[in-house]
Amino acid sequence: MRSRVRPNDFSSAGAFELHRPLIKSLERRGLLRAGLSLGALTLLTGCDVKRPEAVEAALLAISRMNDGVQALLFDPNHLAPTYPEAMILRPPKFNAYYDVMDVKPVDGSTWRLELAGLIAEKRPWTLPDLQAMPQRSMVIRHVCVEGWDYIGGWTGVPLRSFLERVGADLSAKYVAFKTADDYPSSIDMATALHPQTLLALQYGGDTLADPFGYPVRLRMATKLGYKNPKWVTAIEVTNTYPGGYWEKLGFPWFGGI
Amino acid sequence: MRPRFAVTTACLALLFGQAAQAQSPTPGGMPPPPGMSLAQSNAMRFPQPIRVGQLLGRVVLQPVESQTVLGHIRGVVRDNQGQVLVVMNFGGFLGFGSRLIAVPLDAMVLLGEATEVAAFTPQQLRRFAAFTPSGTTPVPAETVVKVGLAKPSH
Amino acid sequence: MKSPASPKSEHAAVNRVAHGRRLHPWPVRIMHWINAATMLVMITSGWGIYDDDVVIRGLHFGQAWRLGDWAAWSLNWHFAGMWFLTLNGIAYLTYGFLTGRFRERLLPIRLTDILHTIAETLRLQIAHEDLTVYNAVQKSLYILVIVAGASQVVTGLAIWKPVQFSGLVSLLGGFQAARLIHFAGMTVIVGFLIVHVALAVLVPQTLWAMLSGGPRLPRASVRRMGSEP
Repeated sequence: MRSRVRPNDFSSAGAFELHRPLIKSLERRGLLRAGLSLGALTLLTGCDVKRPEAVEAALLAISRMNDGVQALLFDPNHLAPTYPEAMILRPPKFNAYYDVMDVKPVDGSTWRLELAGLIAEKRPWTLPDLQAMPQRSMVIRHVCVEGWDYIGGWTGVPLRSFLERVGADLSAKYVAFKTADDYPSSIDMATALHPQTLLALQYGGDTLADPFGYPVRLRMATKLGYKNPKWVTAIEVTNTYPGGYWEKLGFPWFGGI
Repeated sequence: MRPRFAVTTACLALLFGQAAQAQSPTPGGMPPPPGMSLAQSNAMRFPQPIRVGQLLGRVVLQPVESQTVLGHIRGVVRDNQGQVLVVMNFGGFLGFGSRLIAVPLDAMVLLGEATEVAAFTPQQLRRFAAFTPSGTTPVPAETVVKVGLAKPSH
Repeated sequence: MKSPASPKSEHAAVNRVAHGRRLHPWPVRIMHWINAATMLVMITSGWGIYDDDVVIRGLHFGQAWRLGDWAAWSLNWHFAGMWFLTLNGIAYLTYGFLTGRFRERLLPIRLTDILHTIAETLRLQIAHEDLTVYNAVQKSLYILVIVAGASQVVTGLAIWKPVQFSGLVSLLGGFQAARLIHFAGMTVIVGFLIVHVALAVLVPQTLWAMLSGGPRLPRASVRRMGSEP
């Protein structure tokens, strides 16, 4: 089944060659069981080296338990610290599962935000529609799971306002996102309703630039960077676990900070 | 005690030796493919505006997982052909024994608060001639230039 | 079962202990080995997480040194191991305080005793005939590593949840500062490990003691104020 969001053309041959090591590495990592290195394995007694799938399954089970712990630790009334506008990093730091040359800019004039799932008003939204909604600005710390951080400033529509406007079922469990770069992501409803969760249209007071998610990206202050998809094309409210790009590769789903 | 000492030293050498090689399985900031000019490859990296004043003092890293420090940006100049060059101190250790070299701005990328040299390896940079200011004019701090982006290397 | 302490005289404090109690009772041994395995998991998986954005530029840990060949699995190991480390650590601290083991094993420490022991060590005169007596340097290092372990848990929480624990992060000096302290704590623990394992190998009776319980403690151990413990 052809994905609505699959890019129409593949990367040029030159760019493909450039990223062969990346692709090889992703393939290796997808197949590699448990990601154990032998050097460290010998230190673990009682570990069944012949069945690393069992170890992998145990680690993932604990990771899912940690998602529950993180949900308990999430205080919907606690605001992330904010900072003066002078501290905003310009331009912000770029990251994706590919390098910047492979960014596929979106045409804002033809872009539509599709809606699906437990939403009453499923009419697609245009960019002017979103821009007409009341906006909120925040200067917060972006924290990447890799360990780096920077201070960024985003302006956009609070996701809560948007969900209320389209008649979403706010008692549902998940809000899921689809993007123009095949990077699905999903979050818990409690975080979706947090005041510092925005459908961001601007960075540092200017329209979002192409590499940073134009026209719309999700921006949360309470989750790690990888949970904030760029180039959002669809939002779905659902009770079925939607997963996400990095979650399929073993990263935690809740990803809260 | 001596054999244990040798093993320990070997282990430490292996550990730090890894840093020198620092192979990146998912690299960012890779050099342009053969035949492509620096200007073209910079254009492919969605160059973003930045004030020259914001570049001064920035650290310059090697685009590898170990993020080896190559030097720091000491100045931005224009040569007689109008090309913008970044003057950085390169080499040495903790600032001692380094020399100034001029790297084309198009060869560099922004990485958050740092920068990286994407188009040249450290070996190639070592062969750059020492920077001489004659024939160049400093670019004012308020001037806005455009620098390409790269993703972090792992 | 301990008999009550006798009144302190000016020159001696007497610890009466039940006859037959071993140097390392079985709860201590179990918690020690759980901690050893867990610590190794935390350190090596931590190195894997570190590699994703190095704290010290130029330093990274190669594949042979890290648990989890890339970030996702290093994280999963780390976030699994943290439960064992913390729960076992809390059990150990509770045991150590409630049974008086910490007081008995690790106190008192006097600066003069530390300097004395360092001097003896440098002259290669380390005495280990009596495993039941810890020298001053030993006591200091054990206290140091316990504090370092606790610090890793605190700084780890700060890094894991910098928004939910934003107050803690501020106390530590910021997010990157918390990362740096977490890395420094690891360095202290690894340094301790190297010394600890080297000495256990040099004096194998200590290793056997942590497996089987070691010598039985004397009926009463007498400490005089001002003398070598």
